[in-house]
Amino acid sequence: MRRIENRYALMVIYALLTIYAFFSVIPFFWTTIQSFKTPRQANSRVPLFIFEPTADNYTDLWLKSIPDDPLLVAAALVAIFGFLAFLGMQAGRFPFPRGYVYLGILAVGFAVLWSIPGFIRTQTFYDYFLNTIIVTVGAICISISIGCLAGYALARYSGIAGVIILVTALGFRSLPGMAYILPYWWFGQRSGLYDTHILLIITLVAINQPFTIWMLRSFFMNIPKEIEESAMVDGANRLTAFLSVIIPIMWPGIISTALFTLLLAYSDFLLVRILTQSNWTLTVAISKYAAGEDPGHITLAAAAAVSAAVPIIIVVFIFQSQLVKGLTSGAVKG
Amino acid sequence: MFMSPSLLVMLALMVFPLLTSIWLSMQYMTFRNINAPEFVGLANYLEVFDDRKFWQAFTFTMTFIAIAVPAQISVGFLIAVLLDQVSSRIRGIYIAAFLMPFIVVPVVGTLMVKQLFESGGIVAWAYRALLGSRFIFTEQSVKSLILLHSLWAATPFPLIVFFAGLQTLPDELIEASMIDGATRLRQVRHIMIPHLRSLFVFVGLISIMDAYRVFDSVFVLTEQNPIYKAEVMMLYTFRTAMSVQRLGKANAMSVITVVMILVVLVPFLLRTYKEQTEER
Repeated sequence: MRRIENRYALMVIYALLTIYAFFSVIPFFWTTIQSFKTPRQANSRVPLFIFEPTADNYTDLWLKSIPDDPLLVAAALVAIFGFLAFLGMQAGRFPFPRGYVYLGILAVGFAVLWSIPGFIRTQTFYDYFLNTIIVTVGAICISISIGCLAGYALARYSGIAGVIILVTALGFRSLPGMAYILPYWWFGQRSGLYDTHILLIITLVAINQPFTIWMLRSFFMNIPKEIEESAMVDGANRLTAFLSVIIPIMWPGIISTALFTLLLAYSDFLLVRILTQSNWTLTVAISKYAAGEDPGHITLAAAAAVSAAVPIIIVVFIFQSQLVKGLTSGAVKG
Repeated sequence: MFMSPSLLVMLALMVFPLLTSIWLSMQYMTFRNINAPEFVGLANYLEVFDDRKFWQAFTFTMTFIAIAVPAQISVGFLIAVLLDQVSSRIRGIYIAAFLMPFIVVPVVGTLMVKQLFESGGIVAWAYRALLGSRFIFTEQSVKSLILLHSLWAATPFPLIVFFAGLQTLPDELIEASMIDGATRLRQVRHIMIPHLRSLFVFVGLISIMDAYRVFDSVFVLTEQNPIYKAEVMMLYTFRTAMSVQRLGKANAMSVITVVMILVVLVPFLLRTYKEQTEER
């Protein structure tokens, strides 16, 4: 008898929830519509819902010129990435470990993405897209590898120093990013690393490190000590026990943390905006479209916003269960 | 030993920069003399305290926190309680919709909200139809937009935390209160809110800190009309550093903002510290 059973009250509840859901999604809905309009249609006095859609905004955004046979190119790309996705789903069927299959798929996928400008004339927007991939993948790899070590140590060590490290790290994470980023800028200028991917990656790793070790620690704490102890009885030292016994069962936690690191690195604006001049990521690149005088800027901005949102929505859609798990478990524990 | 790479990164890239920031805040430095800054002591701080625009930015930041945080928390709580009443099959769809603004990149989300208000946007049209005048970006309207966007983008966090917290509320408590003849409202008041008390504190502190350092949305929304009155402290610091090129002064501002947030941060850290030592 926890729930309300009065029919009218329930109707009111559904109505309120639906209104709020509508409030949440209408910007997505409207921006997507706008992105398929011509500037003239987008600026019409009465909002148009029925119109002849055009992909011009997207082609203008991504391509300098349309290839001679666009359908063939598109079909080839869909076929390649579809095939890679298919291989990924069938990874368990190969006679060697899944990890190698995923690594191979990623390598081929990146090779294809990087070779595209070789035969299609792409806009700088595509370069920003590639920058984003480099920076996020680099930040995730480094952040997770050093974070796993630290998170594991903090989960197993119960002294007061561990708590102090954790709380201090949290404190640093909670400060406004500006306090670090201006010194980073100064350091970048003096060392000549300004506007390079390396600077972006190491600073993103540093800023996300407190969050990463907190999250990984909570996952490691769920793994019973006995598991690595039994491995160590068999003669393995702690590092080998960690690498060969603990890490393989940690994958769900690692994926969950990596996903949050991805979201943080992908959406970071202030740091990338200050530390780069031309090697932007998508997030900074699209802020360029926020303002403009010519009437075309609205539809172009819409196309840019949708283009930057789609990759993240795809990733979240694939890994949604891990995401919700991480979000609620971390939050409720406090 | 396992800790060392992570600790090293954090020491080198968080503790050290903070100290550098304090040192830089005592230099007169522009883009021209990066390699040979001139030591000026506390002059930058005095200049900041005398800067009218800084205090305008401060006032707007505080107003923003005072309005946005209670709004986010109360709307989030209301929706969480309502969501708790709905059958679990339908919840999934609602949660997916509610989380959309939370997952999308803040800059993208802001651009999308802004699309509604552009000329030809659907809200701009409704505004004209209802009020008879065009929607234009002015100081007031941009400020309201910043608030509206924060409600849109930041409410999912309290919502999902409160909702997860309500799932840990035992059914028996509610049932017992029903037998005692408690009304729904009284249940919310006397069972749900006390049950979620520690989460309210947690969410409140996090939301205040997030609102305090809001930057992305304000940057995107003021891009079209850089009226300084609609700036928050982070944005003013950014412009002082990158547009005005007064790096020493900007560092002084960021030191001041860090000191100010300690008021909220220290209780938050003490609370976490106590929890962690108890859990141990």
